[in-house]
Amino acid sequence: MPVDLVPLASTSQIERTPSREDGIPAELEEDLRAFGCKLIHEAGILLKQKQVAVATAQILFQRFWYTTSMKQFGIGDIGMGALYLASKLEECPLRIRDLINTYDLLLQRTSHTLSSSPKPKDPFKYAPMSYFGNTFYDLKDALVVAEMQILKRLGFNVHVVLPYGTLINYLRVLGLTSRKDACARAWGYLNDAMQTPVYALYAVPTIVSAAILLASRQLDIALPSRRLIDVWSVCGYVMRLYRERAPEERMRVMRLVGKKDVRGWLEENAVVQS
Amino acid sequence: MAKYNHPPSLHLVQSMAMASESTSSTSTPRKRSKWDEEDPDDMAIRQQQQPSKRSVRTRSRGVRPPSPVRSESHFATTSRPSRPLHSIYVPPRTHHPSIQPSRSVYCYERLNQIEEGSYGVVFRARDKETGDIVALKKLKLDEEKHGFPITALREINALMSCHHDNVVRIREVVVGDTLTQVFVVMDFIEHDLKTLLTLMPSPFLQSEIKTLMLQLLSAVAHCHSNWILHRDLKTSNLLMNNRGTIKVADFGLARRYGDPVGVGGLTQLVVTLWYRAPEILMGATTYSTAIDMWSVGCIFAELLLKEPLFQAKNEIELLSMIFKLLGPPTTKTITLPSPQPHQFRQRFHHMTTAGIDLLVSLLTYDPEQRISAEEAVHHPYFSESPLPKHPDLFSSFPSAAAGERRRKPFDSPSAPVRAADYKLLTEVDLP
Repeated sequence: MPVDLVPLASTSQIERTPSREDGIPAELEEDLRAFGCKLIHEAGILLKQKQVAVATAQILFQRFWYTTSMKQFGIGDIGMGALYLASKLEECPLRIRDLINTYDLLLQRTSHTLSSSPKPKDPFKYAPMSYFGNTFYDLKDALVVAEMQILKRLGFNVHVVLPYGTLINYLRVLGLTSRKDACARAWGYLNDAMQTPVYALYAVPTIVSAAILLASRQLDIALPSRRLIDVWSVCGYVMRLYRERAPEERMRVMRLVGKKDVRGWLEENAVVQS
Repeated sequence: MAKYNHPPSLHLVQSMAMASESTSSTSTPRKRSKWDEEDPDDMAIRQQQQPSKRSVRTRSRGVRPPSPVRSESHFATTSRPSRPLHSIYVPPRTHHPSIQPSRSVYCYERLNQIEEGSYGVVFRARDKETGDIVALKKLKLDEEKHGFPITALREINALMSCHHDNVVRIREVVVGDTLTQVFVVMDFIEHDLKTLLTLMPSPFLQSEIKTLMLQLLSAVAHCHSNWILHRDLKTSNLLMNNRGTIKVADFGLARRYGDPVGVGGLTQLVVTLWYRAPEILMGATTYSTAIDMWSVGCIFAELLLKEPLFQAKNEIELLSMIFKLLGPPTTKTITLPSPQPHQFRQRFHHMTTAGIDLLVSLLTYDPEQRISAEEAVHHPYFSESPLPKHPDLFSSFPSAAAGERRRKPFDSPSAPVRAADYKLLTEVDLP
């Protein structure tokens, strides 16, 4: 039986992502991808959504940016659309209103963090939106459009293979299932890797191998040494997530959740460069 | 181009993608980063093995210079093994499809409308590039309160993950000018089995029925092994081409199922009444693959009888018809044999014992006891004489969907025209 393969980004899509074509620097795109996925993850936890749906949403989100520029769509909207779509795909649909309330909270919290960034002010307090207010309908429209755009721009190929089953298989083969710490760590790396584009770049076995490799190295577990290029590359992507960041870099992403913010940033930077 | 919904930049990227994909496999040494140059041998080996894959990595690293990838990979190369650097067990990156946006519906030329249903309209269309005739199914998306309908999503997803000779192939999904115009592009198949059964002059032969049933069963087995329930198997959802192949279509009610079955509950509003299994009629919320097998049983009977087996008007009537044919179930448990013998013999006179046995195994009350698609394929019915007919030997029929009409069965010589005149003429002419 032929193996069903998930879509991966093509060489030129990796080389020049649409966002980079629009002048968004590689590093900023990377940060925005990671932040968008964090929002999806947080929303998933708050909504008590199944992990499979959250992971699917993050992978769809990562794929989306290989056909579309961040100048056209904001990471907040697309993240929301991806989570909504993935929940349908995994047969655990969300209510639109729940999802919108959650994202509203996350966005308010982000702007609170921004406003109180130099010195910690009063603790964050959520102000619920009014039931028939414009905020809700604006967000709802954005959500529906985002869902449709994801489908359209991925050519309706929303086939996602999650890595967890493969991880368990590999851990069994390696006899690591007794090492709770190794399993947990590798599992964690798989989840963190959702914030990087690797799921749109490499096949699942490669990513799983990288997660096990990272985990076993950290815990000093000896494994048969056979070095595969792609596995190291995935390790690189994952480890890059944990590098030290300056506070202003962290703040910069939070300001660019919407497409308008990104456009504004691009204009400002164009001025600076010229 | 202007008609397309995508921004121009996207097209640029797309065309670039194609251009570069085609060149990457043929091109020899490209610009590489520093650490690559240390090791020409290794590089050559790798390039031989995985040309395009390698290039991807180099490029992706090239654009993000200050990354730990560099140092890590450097480490990898210095202690270089002489074995391939890419696993032979994982399909290479290039075997994966790439991430492609939907094409525009203007790539197709509309021909004629085939049918219209609650889900939308089906058109026959021609691919402008290849000239292929396809079926375009336009989804109804107006006034959707919950975004893209989950049923359409299930259908597209199920069809995309089900590649089988006897499942209708989805080619792609294309979009129109606005976000509410979505068309599913599928292979065009000439007939559906329902219309064919009503129009064809004589019923299918036993050998033909065996071929059709084998095809249907292997398709259903394939869906089930991919964790997909069809939930609406019936003759009008079975398409048939002129080469004796049937294709299961219309996955509008299909959905994925898991193990354990029915997490979150499944709806009972599935399967067209005549083909609905007794457990759904009784209100089960955790049904499984067995419901499709009941439908297959009904289809089998329909092929034999040339008309639907249970033509009931409502659920109560359907139950009583089932009870009449199968014998009523026992009051205590459904697994015990019925107190009355079933009536299959009386209903299907000319069937062999093996044939009746298959029918009984498909139409069994207890879903646990009902035969699975995998088992049914190996049923003795299919290995006894007459053997299944080769699909190529099937006769072809004019396609109603393509707007063809059936010729008269035979051309009898027409009655002599104006015979009287002729007679008159001859009489007159006679001297």
